[in-house]
Amino acid sequence: MTLSEVTGVSGSEGNFTVSVKEHPRYVDTSKCIACGECAAKCPKKVDDTYNASTKKRKAIFVKYSQAVPLKYQIDADECIYLQKPGKCGFCAKVCPAGAINFEDTEKHHEINVGSIILAPGFQAFDPKDAGIWGYGTLPNVITSMQLERYCSATGPTEGHLIRPSDGKPARKIAFLQCVGSRDENKCGNGYCSSVCCMYAIKEAVIAKDHVPGLQTTIFFMDMRTHGKDFDRYYQRAKTESGVRFMRCRVHGVEPHGTDGDLRLHYINEEGRQVEEYYDMVVLSVGLQTPKPVVRLAKDLGIQLTSGNFAATSNFMPVLTSKPGIFTCGAFAGPKDIPQSVIEGSAAAAGVGNLLAMSRHTLTRDKTFPAERDISCEEPKIGVFVCHCGSNIAGVVDVSSVADYAATLPGVAHVERNLFTCSQDTQDLMVNLIKEKGLNRVVVAACTPRTHEPLFRETLKAAGINEYLFEMANIRNQNSWVHAKEPAKATAKAKDLIRMAVAKVSPQFALHQLSVPVTRSALVIGGGLAGMTAALNLADQGFPVHLVEKSDQLGGFARMLDHTWKGDEIKPQLANMSARIENHYNITLHLQSEIKEVEGFVGNFRTTIQNKAGDKTVIEHGAGIVATGGRRYRPLKEYGYGDIKGVFTGIEFDTLRKAGDINVREGKTFVFIQCVGSRQKDRPYCSKVCCTHSVQSAIRLKKEDATRKVYILYRDIRTYGERELLYKEARQLGVIFINYELHGKPLVKHDMAGIQVEVWDHVLHRPLFISADVVILAEAILANQDGKKIAQLFKIPVDSDGFFQEAHAKLRPVDFVTDGMFVAGLAHYPKPVEESIAQAMAASARAATLLSKESITLEAIKATVVEDNCDGCALCLDVCPFSAISLMEYTNNEGKISRRIEINKAQCKGCGLCQGTCPKRGVFVAGFSLDQINKQVAAALAV
Amino acid sequence: MSYEPKIIAFCCNWCSYAAADLAGISRMEYPSNVRIIRVMCSGMVHPETVVEAFNLGADGIMVLG
Amino acid sequence: MVVGGGIAGMQSALDLANSGYYVYLLERSGAIGGAMAQLDKTFPTNDCSM
Repeated sequence: MTLSEVTGVSGSEGNFTVSVKEHPRYVDTSKCIACGECAAKCPKKVDDTYNASTKKRKAIFVKYSQAVPLKYQIDADECIYLQKPGKCGFCAKVCPAGAINFEDTEKHHEINVGSIILAPGFQAFDPKDAGIWGYGTLPNVITSMQLERYCSATGPTEGHLIRPSDGKPARKIAFLQCVGSRDENKCGNGYCSSVCCMYAIKEAVIAKDHVPGLQTTIFFMDMRTHGKDFDRYYQRAKTESGVRFMRCRVHGVEPHGTDGDLRLHYINEEGRQVEEYYDMVVLSVGLQTPKPVVRLAKDLGIQLTSGNFAATSNFMPVLTSKPGIFTCGAFAGPKDIPQSVIEGSAAAAGVGNLLAMSRHTLTRDKTFPAERDISCEEPKIGVFVCHCGSNIAGVVDVSSVADYAATLPGVAHVERNLFTCSQDTQDLMVNLIKEKGLNRVVVAACTPRTHEPLFRETLKAAGINEYLFEMANIRNQNSWVHAKEPAKATAKAKDLIRMAVAKVSPQFALHQLSVPVTRSALVIGGGLAGMTAALNLADQGFPVHLVEKSDQLGGFARMLDHTWKGDEIKPQLANMSARIENHYNITLHLQSEIKEVEGFVGNFRTTIQNKAGDKTVIEHGAGIVATGGRRYRPLKEYGYGDIKGVFTGIEFDTLRKAGDINVREGKTFVFIQCVGSRQKDRPYCSKVCCTHSVQSAIRLKKEDATRKVYILYRDIRTYGERELLYKEARQLGVIFINYELHGKPLVKHDMAGIQVEVWDHVLHRPLFISADVVILAEAILANQDGKKIAQLFKIPVDSDGFFQEAHAKLRPVDFVTDGMFVAGLAHYPKPVEESIAQAMAASARAATLLSKESITLEAIKATVVEDNCDGCALCLDVCPFSAISLMEYTNNEGKISRRIEINKAQCKGCGLCQGTCPKRGVFVAGFSLDQINKQVAAALAV
Repeated sequence: MSYEPKIIAFCCNWCSYAAADLAGISRMEYPSNVRIIRVMCSGMVHPETVVEAFNLGADGIMVLG
Repeated sequence: MVVGGGIAGMQSALDLANSGYYVYLLERSGAIGGAMAQLDKTFPTNDCSM
């Protein structure tokens, strides 16, 4: 439901009634064909919010060219007709589909649902309000979102990076960080927006790709590249792309001269005043919750944090303060895309747990008539040529195209339609297929990427196999791109139909494969992530086998005391362990390891072995890898292991809790950050240590304000609302001293005790601190046995030893291997709430498989031609999905021979095997070598 | 008559074929003598097909993925 | 009901629909996609956001 918003919610968990207001679109979506005639004629231009106001759009518009649904809408506030009825109305006159409906009205719906997920997102901070950076008055000061649009091929300049003031190519760009974040004076947003450092680096690198020789400088306070592979990208931006990084806060942007140049004034790290000139300044704007969302949250009684984000517990990071109402994405705290996707799945897991009893009660399956067997028939092809209103017919001579199509071999019937996709044409097609006994169909219209599914359904409804179908793309790839060459477009349309007919003629019926699913899961690792995933799946009603290598549950979290929001971890672990031990759906295997794995999605068989050597075979449909991480032991670094009083962060927690005398009576404490992280051999950030040390420092200060507490850091990475802890620590008098990788602090021991030496950037001289206790913020490492598990399940690990997800942004818990998922420290260092969210996400992803009795696989798959394959195995290595194996068989002459075998469940139909095979021993059904060759021949036939 | 080369473009369904659709949506213009053949991955295009296309008179071939 | 058709809301809606629930996905604007649809390219592969 688009253009819809929630106006009220009543009821409670399991039974809510949501009042929804649906704004009028003034365009009938069932008729609109998105041809754009209306917008071409619309005389009213307005700022395009999608393009962050860098460009104009019309009052009738689609939000963006790939929008879903791809349907126009009228901006009622700007439309001339709607403001003054009787005026204008051009769109209604030119619309070939009669889709414009000025009488459309607001609708109200009352919807009964069991649970609600709030994912309203963020809005970018508007720097106009603060007025400091010249945004809104200086045209060459733009926001980061505007830069995205300038760099985009669909943006105002088609990807040319030019100055808004005079259209000259940009030569020197400054990025100012923390605009609308970490700044309570100018914007009231004390939190860190988490994503701006990384996007600024990305934009600086991409801008350089757009304009050779472009100079970019990023002015920042702390570089917060704490995500997976972020620090590597930061280093590459510095060393390979030549992005300049300057640690300081710029307080103002002034005009320089009258040509639109800009002057920045700042104090550099050596304390000198510097003036620099730039063509453009990009403000890295932060994220904030939109005001209407804040109002909605208050109306619904949902608690918000001081930064106006949904208040959640670290143990239940996607549940709002109101039972049954979940949240995910930037509303649950500023965050990046992968974490938003993880939370999206995690919220689904939360709902799945709540509503497990009503699964499948409201969904319906479609039914179709039985399929006619056409395998013995000669091709009788029906060709349907679409006018698409005037979109095709306005350029292409459709009647001559249709006449031509009728002459092609195998074509039994040709029909022209105003809109082939309309419902009445579908009915017509069904009747024609039945009446004329057509056994293959070609539709010459738009693109198969949007419309193939629709026409396949039509074939099914007509009782023939849905794969006996081909589209000729005569709109997107013809009439729309050759609008000024009607004769050539008409000739090309004929060619395209000839090619489609040639391809569909040898096509035979294909059937989607159905594989039964073993509806239980295997969770590897009994730490916080593994326990969370196991409990969630078990609560959703799926049997779970939980395998833990050690003799107890809890994993890394057993060493932790509390979360960053202050929730006690140990009672939570005890509670979870007890639930797992008693859960009727969970079988716990302690002191057990994975020995063998076979099978594939829906049907894995995994052998585990316990300490006594007994083996058990577990059948499962999905698997979750939550093998955790371990802590770095900084032997020989900073005197660790030699000097009494030097501890790691986790050891220090234990000592403090136990009331150790060194800690209790200590007066001076020095925390050293990035011990084992962000250096050559381990170029990643361990993500949690900054917050951990800051929290420990706060406790030390609160216990005794006279203590001296130092934190020696490279960048303080208290991202999101953790920033408030950083602020609290500074207010309590914790002293933060920045050091660089090439000038690590030195820890020495003499008669007087421990001496810490660090270069002071403000005073420009080494600083000596006599410390009672030195705390080393140790890195988090990948578990060593990860590689073994990776090999067994054929899943990849990265160069740091962490498991590699299928896609860094869009599939952050999936593996390329279907049916396997990842969660927790096994994926990358992360705090408790992110481990829990990822575990719930993995559980939700696994539940999408386990909730089905069988899974249906797309029919476009590789098939072996047994007579041709000689078992050379060239295709084995190129298959990206490990779907091909070599097997031995006895041939007709009684000899042992070899050929390949395709695992249809793993094959994705990419055809790399087909492209590699020298013997035509394998082909992809629907895209066979024969079909492609016939298409090529048809293309070149005239 | 001016020379009109015949060009065959093999486009991956997931990227370049989608891009060709987008070119249409954006109403970009390009010469009409390219014939696009949709494949599920540019890797499925067999060298034999490319040679065959040249034999049949193609002047240029693009494999886009 | 999922309120918001950005990347997080879409993921929730898809996962729920794929595990046997009827989902209402609400979006305030005329099309789903949210802020990610505005981005040109994304880290680390410089994939187009679409």
